[in-house]
Amino acid sequence: MRAFVVYVLKLLLSSFILFIAVLTVLFFLLELAPGDPVQTLVGDAPISPEFRAQITAAYGLDLPAWQRYFIYIGNVLTGNLGYSFGTNNEPVLDLILSRAGNTVAIALPAFLVSTVGGIILGAVAAKTRRKWLDGGISGITVGLFSIPNFWLGMLLIMLFSLTLGWFPSQGKSPYGEPGIAWQYAVLPVITMATSELAYKARIMRSSMIESLGQDFIDTARSKGLSSQYVLWRHALPNALLPMVTVAGYSLGFLFAGSALVESVFGWPGMGLLFVDAIHAQNNMVVLGVVIVLTVTIIVVNILTDIVYGLVDPRLRVRFTRKPTVAAVPKEAKA
Amino acid sequence: MTARDAIVVPTSEEPPELALTTPISNPGQRRSRASTTRAFLGKPATIVFLIVLAAIVTVSFIGPYLVGNPVTTSHPILHAPDLEFLMGTDALGRDYLARVVNGGRISLFVGFSVAFLCMTIGLVIGGLAGYYGGFLDAGLVKVAEFFQVLPGLVLALVAAALLGSNVWIIVAILALTMWPAVARIARAEAMRIAQLGYVESAKAAGFRGLRIIWSDVIPNALPPVLVATSMTVGRAILIESGLAYLGIGDANNPSWGALLNTAQGFMQTGWWLAVFPGALIFLTVLAVNILGDSLNDALNPTVGRVK
Repeated sequence: MRAFVVYVLKLLLSSFILFIAVLTVLFFLLELAPGDPVQTLVGDAPISPEFRAQITAAYGLDLPAWQRYFIYIGNVLTGNLGYSFGTNNEPVLDLILSRAGNTVAIALPAFLVSTVGGIILGAVAAKTRRKWLDGGISGITVGLFSIPNFWLGMLLIMLFSLTLGWFPSQGKSPYGEPGIAWQYAVLPVITMATSELAYKARIMRSSMIESLGQDFIDTARSKGLSSQYVLWRHALPNALLPMVTVAGYSLGFLFAGSALVESVFGWPGMGLLFVDAIHAQNNMVVLGVVIVLTVTIIVVNILTDIVYGLVDPRLRVRFTRKPTVAAVPKEAKA
Repeated sequence: MTARDAIVVPTSEEPPELALTTPISNPGQRRSRASTTRAFLGKPATIVFLIVLAAIVTVSFIGPYLVGNPVTTSHPILHAPDLEFLMGTDALGRDYLARVVNGGRISLFVGFSVAFLCMTIGLVIGGLAGYYGGFLDAGLVKVAEFFQVLPGLVLALVAAALLGSNVWIIVAILALTMWPAVARIARAEAMRIAQLGYVESAKAAGFRGLRIIWSDVIPNALPPVLVATSMTVGRAILIESGLAYLGIGDANNPSWGALLNTAQGFMQTGWWLAVFPGALIFLTVLAVNILGDSLNDALNPTVGRVK
């Protein structure tokens, strides 16, 4: 048990350091960005040097960079991500949280579809003895893996919305209505899930082949167990172990990829907020989304590593028992 | 279009993302150069996609001199593809074939130059880290973790938004975010090679570490590194097209992705505007990925069906 606590603490510490590293990079990018924030604030109107100095001081821009760096880190760690330059000067964190739910609403189904679909496709491709089936699945997965997914989204809109009229093409609900209507979510979820599904199927296939080649499979077969039993109870659980990590980490990439998918479908989530903020040069919102995204990915990754530690019997044994080194009797050596 | 390794090889006891030491090739199992070439070219799919890729590259770099001016606006507007305009015309009456061919040059340039930079940086840093270990090695692992937390697409979007977005900045940002994937393969190979007999004997003969890395480690680490690099080409093209689709890129020299950005507004009235550039991105990336897979199979004959 102690080993497990140490494992988790180490994980938390290194994640925290990573987070600070991300913040540092963001701060430097902001410092490198061309343009004068004070000039942006006052616009083209001529102002007296005294007034300019007053504004500069009000925003702390007269402080040296290293002081502003620590103020920035401190603010972020206390949940203050700054204020939007938009019409209402809303706090960035509130703005992001109001959009986050919409992103989760398509990212989570996409996660489930891609994980379950990828596992099934990969396992079938690995275990089948029909060459055409394995080849076909591998071909399809390489294909899906190579499609730019925003273009896939455009094709889906052209086919299913504009030509067949089955699903709406833009937004999350009929105009003016709150909430999310499921018809609006179908195409974005498919678009989001595709490349992840292909990636997971590829991993699952090689993991399953690897697992089927292990000695314990031969042992189980030679014990006389049926090949179905060996497949489901021995080969599959082993092949699924690396999928824990792949699936867990993919959640972060789904959130990151939402910028593209949400732009195609006009889906008002975090990704669209991010893209709109980039075009409006609303820098605090841009950085805010990256920070929220980073925190999400870090938390999901930590949970993934913990789950992996609990699921993998080899790691579980290491956590619960002291490693017992088989002592070699001295007499036997001689 | 995610920023991570081509294939995670799940053999180690550690979680795959920590298993940086897992070599992707099997020592001692390598084929001779001639038989590798034969294995690579043995599959019909490889030949087909080699031709496809060669055709796309050739047309993109020679084509601009053949297909006319991509900015001439004197044609009919939103004209559907026919024999005169093979890919139709856009909303300003420009010949779309000329624009698509021009866009290809930019997309391919970004893809291949990012891959070249990644391979160079990856070989140098991966080779040094794998051979020497220690501080450099720990640093490399940390950097790889960093880019796992901050996906390349997101970092590229932020950097391009804050610093501006010409082709060079995008190439630099993509190379900066994608080299760790190559470096960790190079590192794993360098660690393996550093244990081998010929490195031992080179050490015993008194050669310095850098000399050994240059003449023994890097040449022998090249095959798996080439496979990882080939995956980088496809990913860079995909990420660049995504950035351009979101409006980040050189507006005067639109790549395939930038053409798709414009096409978004004409999905109802001009299907060809969206179909052709996207299909070419897809074909190019598919060709690169399939060739990468074939290269991997040819270089690692033991990977594949076991039972």
